[in-house]
Amino acid sequence: MRFFKKTVIDFIGKRNLWYFVSSAMMLVGMLSLAFKGINLGIDFRGGTEVIVAFATPPQISDVRTAMRASGLGASEIKTYGTSDNALIIRTTEQGQGSTLINRIVGSLQQGMPTNPSTLLGSSEIFPKIGKELRQNALYAIVWSFVAILLYIAIRFKFVYGLGAVIAIVHDVFTTFGFLSILDGVIPGLNLEITTEIIAAFLTLIGVSVNDTVVIFDRIRENEKIHRSLSLGEIMNKSLNETLSRTIITSGTIFVVLMVLLFFGGEVNRGFAFTMGFGILTGTYSSIYVASAIVLDWSLWSKKKS
Amino acid sequence: MKNQTTRIALIVAAVALSLVFLWPTVQDYRFRKQLSSLRGADSLSYVEQNQEAMLKAKLKRVKLGLDLQGGMRVVLEVDVIQLLNDIAKNRDDNFLTIIGDVRKESSATDESVIPALAKKFLERGIRMSRYYGSNIRAEDAEVTAYLQSETEKAIDRAIEVVRNRVDQYRVSEPNIQKQGSRRIIVELPGVKDENEVRQLLQGTALLEFRLLKDAQIAYKVMENIDKLLSGKLDTTFADTSAKGKQSVSKVAAPKKQTDALQELLGGNAPAEGDTTSAAKFQRENPFFYYVRPDQRGSGDGYVEAKNRDRVIALLARPEIQRVIPTDMEFSWSAKATTDKAGNQFYQIFPLKKSPELTGAVISDARSSISPEDGRPIVNMEMNSEGSREWARITGANINKRVAIVLDKAVFSAPVVQNKITGGRSQISNIDSPNEARLLEIVLRAGALPAPVAIIEQRSVGPSLGEDSIRAGFNSFTIAFVFTILFMVVYYHNAGGIADFALLFNVLFIMGVLAAFQATLTLPGIAGVILTLGMAVDANVLINERIREELAGGKTVRAAIEAGYAKAFAAIFDSNITTMLTGIVLYQFGTGPIQGFALTLIIGLAASMFSAIVITHVIFNLMTDRGMNPNFG
Repeated sequence: MRFFKKTVIDFIGKRNLWYFVSSAMMLVGMLSLAFKGINLGIDFRGGTEVIVAFATPPQISDVRTAMRASGLGASEIKTYGTSDNALIIRTTEQGQGSTLINRIVGSLQQGMPTNPSTLLGSSEIFPKIGKELRQNALYAIVWSFVAILLYIAIRFKFVYGLGAVIAIVHDVFTTFGFLSILDGVIPGLNLEITTEIIAAFLTLIGVSVNDTVVIFDRIRENEKIHRSLSLGEIMNKSLNETLSRTIITSGTIFVVLMVLLFFGGEVNRGFAFTMGFGILTGTYSSIYVASAIVLDWSLWSKKKS
Repeated sequence: MKNQTTRIALIVAAVALSLVFLWPTVQDYRFRKQLSSLRGADSLSYVEQNQEAMLKAKLKRVKLGLDLQGGMRVVLEVDVIQLLNDIAKNRDDNFLTIIGDVRKESSATDESVIPALAKKFLERGIRMSRYYGSNIRAEDAEVTAYLQSETEKAIDRAIEVVRNRVDQYRVSEPNIQKQGSRRIIVELPGVKDENEVRQLLQGTALLEFRLLKDAQIAYKVMENIDKLLSGKLDTTFADTSAKGKQSVSKVAAPKKQTDALQELLGGNAPAEGDTTSAAKFQRENPFFYYVRPDQRGSGDGYVEAKNRDRVIALLARPEIQRVIPTDMEFSWSAKATTDKAGNQFYQIFPLKKSPELTGAVISDARSSISPEDGRPIVNMEMNSEGSREWARITGANINKRVAIVLDKAVFSAPVVQNKITGGRSQISNIDSPNEARLLEIVLRAGALPAPVAIIEQRSVGPSLGEDSIRAGFNSFTIAFVFTILFMVVYYHNAGGIADFALLFNVLFIMGVLAAFQATLTLPGIAGVILTLGMAVDANVLINERIREELAGGKTVRAAIEAGYAKAFAAIFDSNITTMLTGIVLYQFGTGPIQGFALTLIIGLAASMFSAIVITHVIFNLMTDRGMNPNFG
């Protein structure tokens, strides 16, 4: 069975169009980041988070009134998980230890006596830890860029490393922008930035690079065989030859992620959603961005010398 | 390239190793199933017979993360600055300022405190040996090294104390680890009551037996404070902080008495024109307005619960501190009492600052119920040295009171009836048997050398954990089935063979996890699922290559060899780069995320192995027997 018979698509020739599309996507993402901003979870901001289950589906307004009675009216209240009975309540107030959690549980019991609630789980992070986690997340992303750049530069050529890194930078920014745009839009989907989301970013960097490297490998091989062809022609040939594999792999990973999204539990949901989108941009960038950058950079540096 | 026999040998070895490492998990599962089907005496005898084997299995099995089995994860930070404060001698204002600065700065980072302290001393041109150590001529570098080793010892002691407490709290398989320079990670599976855990972990458990100051003196001090606040006392005092130096500091004479009072009382002073008798009393006797001296003349004071914070703030002010003699301290009762009208009161006790005896002499503690009033108590026994001292102290203070102070809070201050020679004492005024039990644990485990603060806490209830397990299992099954079906449909035989190799994948991942005693978390399961998707990739690369070679006219056997040879570079490079990000993630992540990174890295390695070696072996076995696998 085959999805793609021999394709002859001109990826390279139309690359200016794709540069434009990529820039547009990144721009939209950055605008959203600049104006709407991004929702940091308590992992990165510090704060307290409480997951409660009620006997019957609660009204969010009732819950807020109950919380206001103990001065916590500014808390975020969202549904948790697939059942209607569970809520997640989040506040950035710093309390003296578990008094904050007790306050929340207590005010819920007092303010909603007809709907008994049980504590399912809680988290509390000091702002100091939040700051450290933010730093760590940033270091992690930067270090992954560096590691990838070095490895590819060694195994192929420096310009290939550059192309790969620019492609994944594009992926990271676009996905961040996507999260920013969609945050709060889809009911039941919490998209605040948690450590799992950062893990999703790092993984999508890894998987996107995976695609890119397979294409580069083919280019490297074709360069040796077809010495008469120009770099652009070789790239087109390589892209077409690997297209089948790229789409299939990305497709399977995407489906697997969708399984995670719907069946993997609340903890994995944000991860699966982020990575799902990341796979899409990753595949796109591997095909349309990485090689194009390498080509243009090579041409430009050839022109210089 | 390895030949067939080596490949087969490798596969067999890998499978065998994985099975060996996974065996304890299987055993543990079987034991538990057996145990749950037995009852009463049967189960007891079963445990006795197999105890050693069960323990061994439990130790080496694949552990479930807290997010799957439920429990609490707490990160404690040792207050090193408090420690540095406590081990210093001759603390003067300079020292306190320096310590205060260091505290402010370090509240933002996890960096080492001692270099920061050393720098501050250097900036001010003060030698560290002035406050630390026994050798006044020691160089700063020596003192720094000394402080470093003292701190490390203290943190290790703290970890021991935490470990002791957790052990006695009867948590199964707790995990306590040091993190960084002054943090302790405590993982408690199955624990639900985080209030109790907080109490268990955070109290320093510093037990002190302190004598009370004479009632007359105590009352006089309170009077002086009262007069100072109402402006009747002379406000110039000699600054006695620097030895020998006579610097006179004045408390700024208030422009208007009411302004100063307002400031002191946090805006709660009576309004300017208020002439009620209550307001008059408050103005004239601002201290006694809040602190009612004990009518029986014991020297204690009673403070309404709502005014407690205000009085604490008042007593902490430097001008008030100067009125209190240096060997005296006001300590608060641990609990509030309720009077007939339903008001809650705290007691403050005028205690001698230095303790007669500390918790170091306690050899045992036991929670129990008092035979007199049926309320929970903790009985304590002292070691021989402590018993001697205790006998001396009680003998010398008959009919006087001795306060029992835990973590600076006074639990009781009973009158000494007679000399106690047996080294026994008791903590009473405990609210609940649970609290008594916690106190017992905390006293037995020892005092923490420095306070610890909980800076991060995550707790997952058992039902959330069960949900997660179910979700993980479901999603894994669905993803697995999808992957298998897809491979067979798209690549026919070759796909089926790749699926078979996938099974090995999962076995290897679990085996490596067991070998490293790693924990399986929900993100970890996500990692396994992700590797399923990516395992497909390696097989796709190989199979697509083989298809190309077949299309180019090679024989099946030759196409297979060529396919594997040419696809190797691509598989290797692409998987290595993904593993690089996995490694970065492992380095910078914590807890469940590390679990994910681990399964990702292992899964990629395993999928490389199974795609390159296992499927190759199977293909070759087939072609050897003249069967040509179909590559779709």
